[in-house]
Amino acid sequence: MTSAITKNPQAMKKNGRTDDYSDRAKAERRLGWLLAGPAFIIMLAVTLYPIIQAFFDSLYAFRLTAPDEREFIFLQNYVTILSDPVWWRDLAVTALITVVTVAVELVLGFALALVMHRALKAVRGWLRTAILVPYGIITVVSAYAWFYAFDISSGYVNSWFDWVPGIDQDLNWFAQASTALPVIMASEIWKTTPFISLLLLAGLAQVPDELTEAAKVDGATWWEQMRKVIIPNMKAAIMVAVLFRALDAFRIFDNVFIMTNGQYGTEVLSLLAYRTSITRLEIGLGSAVSVLLFACVLLISFIAIKVFKVDLAGNTGGKR
Amino acid sequence: MPGNRRIDQQKKRIRRRPGAVVASSLGLVSLLLSGCGPADSGVPTLTWYINPDAGGQADIAQRCTEEAGGEYRIETSLLPNDAAAQREQLARRLAANDDSLDIMSIDPPFVPELATFLAPVPDDVAQSTTENTLEGALQGATYEEELVTVPFWANTQILWYRESVAEEAGLDMSQPVTWDQLIEVAAAQDVELGVQGSQAESMTVWINSLIESAGGTILESPEASADEIELGLVSDAGREAARIIGTIGDQGLGGPGLATSTENTSLTLFQGESGSFMVNYPFVWPATQGAVEGGSVDQAVLDDIGWALYPRVFDNEETAPPLGGINLGVGASSDNPELAYQAIECIVQPENQTEYFLTNGNPPSNSEAYEDPRIEEQFPMADTIRESLEIAAPRPQSPFYNEISSGLQQTWTPPDEVEPETTPEQSAEFITAVLRGERLL
Amino acid sequence: MKSTGRDKIVWTIISILVLVYALFPVASILATSFKAPGDLTNGSFLPSPGLATLDNYEQILVGDAQGLFLSALWNSIGISLIATFIAVVLATLCAYAIARLDFPGKKIILTTALAVSIFPVISIVTPLFNLWRTIGLYDTWLGLIIPYLSLTLPISIWTLAAFFRQIPWELEQAAQVDGATTWQAFRKAIVPLAAPGVFTTAIIAFFIAWNDFVYGISLTSTEAARPVPAALAFFTGASQFESPTGAISAAAIIVTIPVVLLVLLFQRQIVSGLTQGAVKG
Repeated sequence: MTSAITKNPQAMKKNGRTDDYSDRAKAERRLGWLLAGPAFIIMLAVTLYPIIQAFFDSLYAFRLTAPDEREFIFLQNYVTILSDPVWWRDLAVTALITVVTVAVELVLGFALALVMHRALKAVRGWLRTAILVPYGIITVVSAYAWFYAFDISSGYVNSWFDWVPGIDQDLNWFAQASTALPVIMASEIWKTTPFISLLLLAGLAQVPDELTEAAKVDGATWWEQMRKVIIPNMKAAIMVAVLFRALDAFRIFDNVFIMTNGQYGTEVLSLLAYRTSITRLEIGLGSAVSVLLFACVLLISFIAIKVFKVDLAGNTGGKR
Repeated sequence: MPGNRRIDQQKKRIRRRPGAVVASSLGLVSLLLSGCGPADSGVPTLTWYINPDAGGQADIAQRCTEEAGGEYRIETSLLPNDAAAQREQLARRLAANDDSLDIMSIDPPFVPELATFLAPVPDDVAQSTTENTLEGALQGATYEEELVTVPFWANTQILWYRESVAEEAGLDMSQPVTWDQLIEVAAAQDVELGVQGSQAESMTVWINSLIESAGGTILESPEASADEIELGLVSDAGREAARIIGTIGDQGLGGPGLATSTENTSLTLFQGESGSFMVNYPFVWPATQGAVEGGSVDQAVLDDIGWALYPRVFDNEETAPPLGGINLGVGASSDNPELAYQAIECIVQPENQTEYFLTNGNPPSNSEAYEDPRIEEQFPMADTIRESLEIAAPRPQSPFYNEISSGLQQTWTPPDEVEPETTPEQSAEFITAVLRGERLL
Repeated sequence: MKSTGRDKIVWTIISILVLVYALFPVASILATSFKAPGDLTNGSFLPSPGLATLDNYEQILVGDAQGLFLSALWNSIGISLIATFIAVVLATLCAYAIARLDFPGKKIILTTALAVSIFPVISIVTPLFNLWRTIGLYDTWLGLIIPYLSLTLPISIWTLAAFFRQIPWELEQAAQVDGATTWQAFRKAIVPLAAPGVFTTAIIAFFIAWNDFVYGISLTSTEAARPVPAALAFFTGASQFESPTGAISAAAIIVTIPVVLLVLLFQRQIVSGLTQGAVKG
């Protein structure tokens, strides 16, 4: 998916087969679908069917442990959810996590990308290896690592940082959202910054060296080179990275589940959906939360593509 | 390796299901099911879904398999660590009419919700397994005046205290103590109380015992349907409970970690320098002994530990300690319900309960099982536990327990924000709205 | 860029910073995994002197938690490898078609892959749970492999499509002109060029399947199929009330080892896979 940002000359090249005979075109067409079809069908089956089913279920009052009381209630579940402050609180928490983590990751990821791009040959391999560790690690493991470090009984952060105003031995990080959310976000940022920095590294590599050189010759400072040459040339890469990460962050689940399980105002939308349909076994209500969550993701993509003109399919869509 | 055998069992069961057709149509069936041994001989296998322990249930399963002399075999399968997650797994499988649920270890509060999916307890089994069952444990196994599960082991919280602290405060621990006395001592001596203030099941346990000790009850109409349930939270007992929790929270008497403290964190607090009094389960004893052996806690701390019944709310009214433990149920879709109940009769024999207490620290539900002299030696507080189990009060017995409990947890935390005038009312309104389907939880 | 003395110092400092950033949380949980139960609350990073212990590893590898952990490890490895294998095979065919053939609907396929990759997993887990119960896929390997394909297929298709576009397919024709058969031309000229891309894609797909948690906790219920991330939430201490912090930490370290090994061995390939040819490997 990252290829959206690579300007690949070969992909742009017309392959000059437009004058093919129709027989051959037909055979090629068939072969194309024969090869691509299985993957396409599986992707559709695994996502399209469940979401349609979820929408269907969301129109019922249906509790798994009371199957006989299933009842069609049309949009009542949606009314219940949208009129409940819990939904809006969870939406706000989710949005906050999304905005903050993506913003921090963008800055941090850009710094890491610059480091990797400019690093001396001798250290480049080591840097890449180190940066890839958080990328490959299981999110749940990351969540436990951060949780145990900050937890008031098993942690050491309080004793290390008790000189910082606001932190002392008695700070219970997970007892209120104002301190629990930063830890949750830190874990999320640590784990996913490598991904964003690799996307940005790809963008960075596409900025033609001549442009930077020319700017240098013109006496531009480092900051001016960044602002006038490098960043504008990476705009597409940045937008794609931001959108992908934003959608990913919006679906955050693992970190919150492990660290607070949503207590004290740290619940996010995915967790609400999980708790309603899996824990409470309220299939109807839970499906409605799931459908609404899906709608939010669609809305974000739509806004990104239409308003910010993020070109996702970009140059990889093949012929145009 | 027993793990592998268990997996093979699972696979065998899967093979019988229509899913296998789907699987084979995808051409993956051989991948998945290869390595399955040949079907075992004709001995019926009973699957026992156990909650995690130190291996005691697996040992009992093995013993009973041997005793059965080829009539049945018991295999164990592990449920999650957390009680709510255990319920979730069982409920989902039961609702799916899974025929592998022969025997299940069920936490008492979830019995009513699962009762409709359980095979009825045969009269003779009910008779033979509950002859000497402690009163509290028996209540937890009963729903709508009928025994729906068989009591296996029972748990209860008692009051643990540091003798040095009680002595300094001049408390006579041979007499019942009240929460107010504990609050007073903790405030005066600058020590911390071990209570569980986390937004978790342990909070419901605490609220329930306080309300029951104060002569009230959380659920006033256990048999009502979801939208007609009446709660006894807005009452003197409810306000009294809120006052106690709120005071401990407000004055910081539960330590800085109160809002996230669980049974384990309370124990750590209790073993530390500011430890004083703690309400907690019997695991405290073996855990502290282990910590002393491991070198992280001094022998002096262990020697300083005393115990008594759960604190009272009013000094002239008997306390109602928390009730926990495990009951055994048989799934309604089980292929061998009779055999399963036969196996249960074997599992819950007093000797097994004694052995389980000695090896895993989980107290028997049968009073007979306490008579073994080894128990007194290993758990000097066994008498207190037994007494506590006689008077313990179950949590609200309702098919909607999960909603009631989560609703309480969300409205009664963090403890420092609990107010006698507002909290009971808010939580009652919230839970009622959730049960009517008007609110998310 | 010529490396001067000053450069070296600057880069040493930067490298150390990056290393600390990347490895500190891992070191933190590694230190925790050596703490004895009573020592967990010592308030410091390392175990107290003299109390460091291997008990936690013993518990999950040969002790009480062995059945739970080892079966989860086996499930995770098996399920992730199969899901990766299927995804890479299907994605290779699909990406080859996209890169090499001219047929309508390419854009639809790529857009679908994109849409599937941003799909909220939690939204489909309930319907899948209900369907799996009905057809008997609940708590089976296949029951996880299928949803894992929804995670691994999209990124595999995109990554491979980009790789394949860069392969100079003319080589194939050139080889044929030189007298090789079609198959020989493909094998000698194309396979060596395509293999690294396929391999890289496999590693990335494996990481994604290995990381899954939501499907793991929702669609399994016993050791028959429960993967490692879900099993971590199932550990228990000596009793149900004691936190299994040590056992979880030890298990976390063990499941991180394969990740670190893969990263150490293949960092160059993974980076070029993720940045797709932007970084000339």
